[in-house]
Amino acid sequence: MAISKEVYKVFESIVGDYYVSNDPVICESYRSGPGGYENGTGYERVMTTIPGCVIMPRTTEEVQKIVKVCYKNDIPYVPYSTGFYGPKSHPHVEDALLIDLKRMNDFYLDEKHYYVEVGPGMIYSPIQEEAMRHGAYVVIGGGGAQASAIANLIGDGWSPLSHRIGLPHRRILGTELVLPDGELLKLGSLANSDDPFWGECPGPDLRGILRGYTGVRGCLGIVTRMAIKTLPFQPERLQPTGISPNTVLAFPEKRVKWINYVVPSKEAQVKAMYEIGKAEIGGAVTKVPLFWRSIAKAEDKEHFWEMWGKENEKTVANFFIVRVLLIGYTSEEQLEYDEAVLADIMSEVGGEARPTKPSDESWIKNADSAGMWLMCGDYVSVDYVIETLSQATEHGPTYAELKKKYTPPLMPDYGDPGWFQSFELGHQGYSEFLIYWDHDDDTDPVDQFYLDTSIMNINHRFYTSLLGPHQPMYLTGPQYGPNYHEYFLKVKDEFDPKWMSHPPVPLAHDVLIERSPWLKKMKYWETPDDLPK
Amino acid sequence: MDSKNEGKQRYYKPRAEVALDIEDMENFVYDMSRCIKCKGCTWVDHTYMPGAKFMTRCPSATMYEYDAYGAYGKMRIAHGMAEGKVEWNDKALEIMYACTLCGACDVGCKRNLDLEVELTLESIRVKAVKDGVGPLPAHKKIAENVKKTGNMFGSSKKRTEWIPADAKPADKADVLYFVGCTASYTNHEIAQSTAKIFKAAKVNYMLLKDESCCGNAIFSSGMVDEAREIAKKNVEAMKKSGAKKLVTACAEGYRMWKVDYPKLLNIATADLGFEVLHLVEFVDELVKNGSLKMKKEFNTRMVYHDACSLSRLSEPWTPWEGKRGWMGCVEPRLKRRRGTNGVYEQPRDILKAIPGVDLVSLPRERENAYCCGAGRGTKEAFPEFAKWNANHRLEEIRDAGAETLVTACPMCKNNFAQNVKENGNDMQVMDISEVICSAIES
Ligand SMILES: Cc1cc2nc3c(=O)[nH]c(=O)nc-3n(C[C@H](O)[C@@H](O)[C@@H](O)COP(=O)(O)OP(=O)(O)OC[C@H]3O[C@@H](n4cnc5c(N)ncnc54)[C@H](O)[C@@H]3O)c2cc1C
Ligand code: SF4
Ligand code: SF4
Repeated sequence: MAISKEVYKVFESIVGDYYVSNDPVICESYRSGPGGYENGTGYERVMTTIPGCVIMPRTTEEVQKIVKVCYKNDIPYVPYSTGFYGPKSHPHVEDALLIDLKRMNDFYLDEKHYYVEVGPGMIYSPIQEEAMRHGAYVVIGGGGAQASAIANLIGDGWSPLSHRIGLPHRRILGTELVLPDGELLKLGSLANSDDPFWGECPGPDLRGILRGYTGVRGCLGIVTRMAIKTLPFQPERLQPTGISPNTVLAFPEKRVKWINYVVPSKEAQVKAMYEIGKAEIGGAVTKVPLFWRSIAKAEDKEHFWEMWGKENEKTVANFFIVRVLLIGYTSEEQLEYDEAVLADIMSEVGGEARPTKPSDESWIKNADSAGMWLMCGDYVSVDYVIETLSQATEHGPTYAELKKKYTPPLMPDYGDPGWFQSFELGHQGYSEFLIYWDHDDDTDPVDQFYLDTSIMNINHRFYTSLLGPHQPMYLTGPQYGPNYHEYFLKVKDEFDPKWMSHPPVPLAHDVLIERSPWLKKMKYWETPDDLPK
Repeated sequence: MDSKNEGKQRYYKPRAEVALDIEDMENFVYDMSRCIKCKGCTWVDHTYMPGAKFMTRCPSATMYEYDAYGAYGKMRIAHGMAEGKVEWNDKALEIMYACTLCGACDVGCKRNLDLEVELTLESIRVKAVKDGVGPLPAHKKIAENVKKTGNMFGSSKKRTEWIPADAKPADKADVLYFVGCTASYTNHEIAQSTAKIFKAAKVNYMLLKDESCCGNAIFSSGMVDEAREIAKKNVEAMKKSGAKKLVTACAEGYRMWKVDYPKLLNIATADLGFEVLHLVEFVDELVKNGSLKMKKEFNTRMVYHDACSLSRLSEPWTPWEGKRGWMGCVEPRLKRRRGTNGVYEQPRDILKAIPGVDLVSLPRERENAYCCGAGRGTKEAFPEFAKWNANHRLEEIRDAGAETLVTACPMCKNNFAQNVKENGNDMQVMDISEVICSAIES
């Protein structure tokens, strides 16, 4: 149902005339595709549509008022912080209200207690700059410095910097959530008072409700404020240098260092990561896939393919680099000590240090996932897994094997088995699998690959991020935990009985399958008849 | 919610042939279709991100806030137009024209990707004109003025009125000074300072016979046919003059001569037959080879504002056409203009060489600089936009504690100066020619 004139007027009275628009051109500009994350795939083509109206609140109170009006008038809505996350951040039903939260970009830093408080419009790179100015740092999710910190932390929130400080939910100290019907819920230490330092709240703590493995994609309400823990860093400035496109943060060489080691095998990579964690050194420890190196060196798309065309299955299979970030958190001497420990570990596993630039271009402040679209024009990070280091690293090769069936249209990558790294000082390993294609090719196989990986993981009993709102819940739910999908749907019904907050998430992928013959033919599981239409 | 399997093809299949030709927006549909909404075009390069203040570099997206006004929005709308799904309306015109074509988006995007954002935005305006909806009345007025009087203001005064009694441009010289409309009519101080600098460096210079407007606003608003006529006429006149170097103190004029005339005439900058220099390039050379001495002290805390047309938009033009194939790769090899080799250091080197100048940096500078909001016909069509953005930039400049703000573009100078005055601020706003002049005058 289109938003009526009366309701539109109410919206105007909440945010002011300027900040609500149903102009068709404004609405078109909030289209998900044609390019970017998951765009061009069936999920975007079949499941997304342009919003019927866009609204830009400035305060939590305005958000509350807006969603109350939506609830009263049966207007579906979608929270949108930056919109980078592709179809999942865009309306899936006609005449939805897109709530663009970019104006809610408040920022507060508590230097003494090592936390920041931000609104959903605040992205990572400014937070990092402010934090580093005060001797602290945050983990910028690998998906990008341009992501909303809130949107990232309620869904993802990891990067090589997670080596030290672990899982995202442990960095969320407090959350302010506007429930789908407009009620305000404060989680974590924000539930107690306006002092989020401690992180915990009285009674059961609901902070996890929004996260799960990879979040609920805005289907349980809107986060309007979050207190995020920052971590102590070293005091010297990482100086921005260079001119676009070659801009980097230059390191104070006695305090911060990347060192790349070539090691003889994957086992050596894993062992090195494990030992580095055990020794409690390093700020980041990650594997570098061969084609990342090609992207970093490529002047442009054509140059990338020129370089990549010279690789083959052997060169990819025999490329083993461990990249270690050393940080002298407390002193130059600490860095020296850590470097000596690292050298011992590496000599044990047969690693050889390679000359490494004394700068960072893609993890600490500028996590530039955008560059990954260079080669093909389309790219998704198809799955991630967090396991023990030895287990996590087993997943990649299974995806690589399955990917052969779908290449082309997937990029010919000579069986690259993805990326892995250490988390939580080696207590955990993180592995991620990426795919690339060009959406001018037939994208049906891309959709099928996505679904097939889920089926493969179920068969292998791998517990990965491809759950919940990333895959058909009626496929994954019965397989993981006792009826996890039923539990999830009960939570959804409880929080959002009218299903106004980003419908039909969390069942969007179930609906997608029903609507897409090229996926439906792969369906072997049962779904109820009353799926949202 | 259409499905490919229902026979609807939503996506543009790239044609084999493609050219960097803004007269056909189809050339850029690939670029539009690969925009990933990372907003790298709007944010300051994350490496240089200055903190929770001054985070953006797109004046259009910063002021209007809706996604529509960022390059990602403009490109989505134009992509919808290319597919025949979106129609022009007043909002669409505002979105496409309330934008200074400042190039911040282009360099931001090209830090990571190979998308031709600036050319896309230019081509959208050409389409607006072809579709009969553009340009805006203010632009039509400028075009009329130029046609009638040869200058954008429609002034009936003599263009050479700025020439002081003691300045004698030569009839023939290797260096030709292209004055431009602004310095000729509203900012004589820039032309006069430039003439003094030539004199101090003993540079013989000539003027273009019957100089007229460079066509900046006409080109920028999408009137390419009219702009091409101007380009032809001016390039011919320049060739006829016999001069080897064209020097101008106007950043927008500089970009027109160096980049957009070649673009309009489908030739390379290198094939113009003469060199195009901004005054700062010319002076930098003179200072470095000792021909110009800047000895007089200028004790001030100064900031330099990078004019877009002199900095990230000024790399030379080379026509290109070819084919786009698998994975979007093009052949022959295309050397993309990424703003890397803009004129960034020369003005800074000049200012640093002046005794007493304390040149402080701004949070957003060089390729990350925030446009003043006036250029490329924007102020004429959207005075409020120009004002808002000038004030936004002035806030940053004030935060830096600047006493003197220096630019190398008369549009920037005027926009800033007007707002400084209106705000009752005592900051000095100067063109770089005036600063150089004050340092060489005894
Ligand atoms: C190619 C790629 C690689 C990635 N790699 C990594 C990685 O290595 N590490 C990592 O941590 N992440 C990674 N990500 C994930 C990614 O960075 C997202 O977490 C991030 O983009 C979300 O922020 P956003 O501003 O883009 O959110 P948006 O696009 O605005 O929204 C994302 C989702 O959250 C919902 N939402 C937005 N704001 C709110 C809110 N305030 N309240 C409730 N719901 C909201 C939206 O409805 C949508 O469903 C990757 C993403 C991509 C595209
Ligand atoms: S930087 Fe480029 S790809 Fe990213 S949103 Fe802007 S135009 Fe699109
Ligand atoms: S040209 Fe400048 S104002 Fe226009 S969209 Fe790009 S960055 Fe924004």
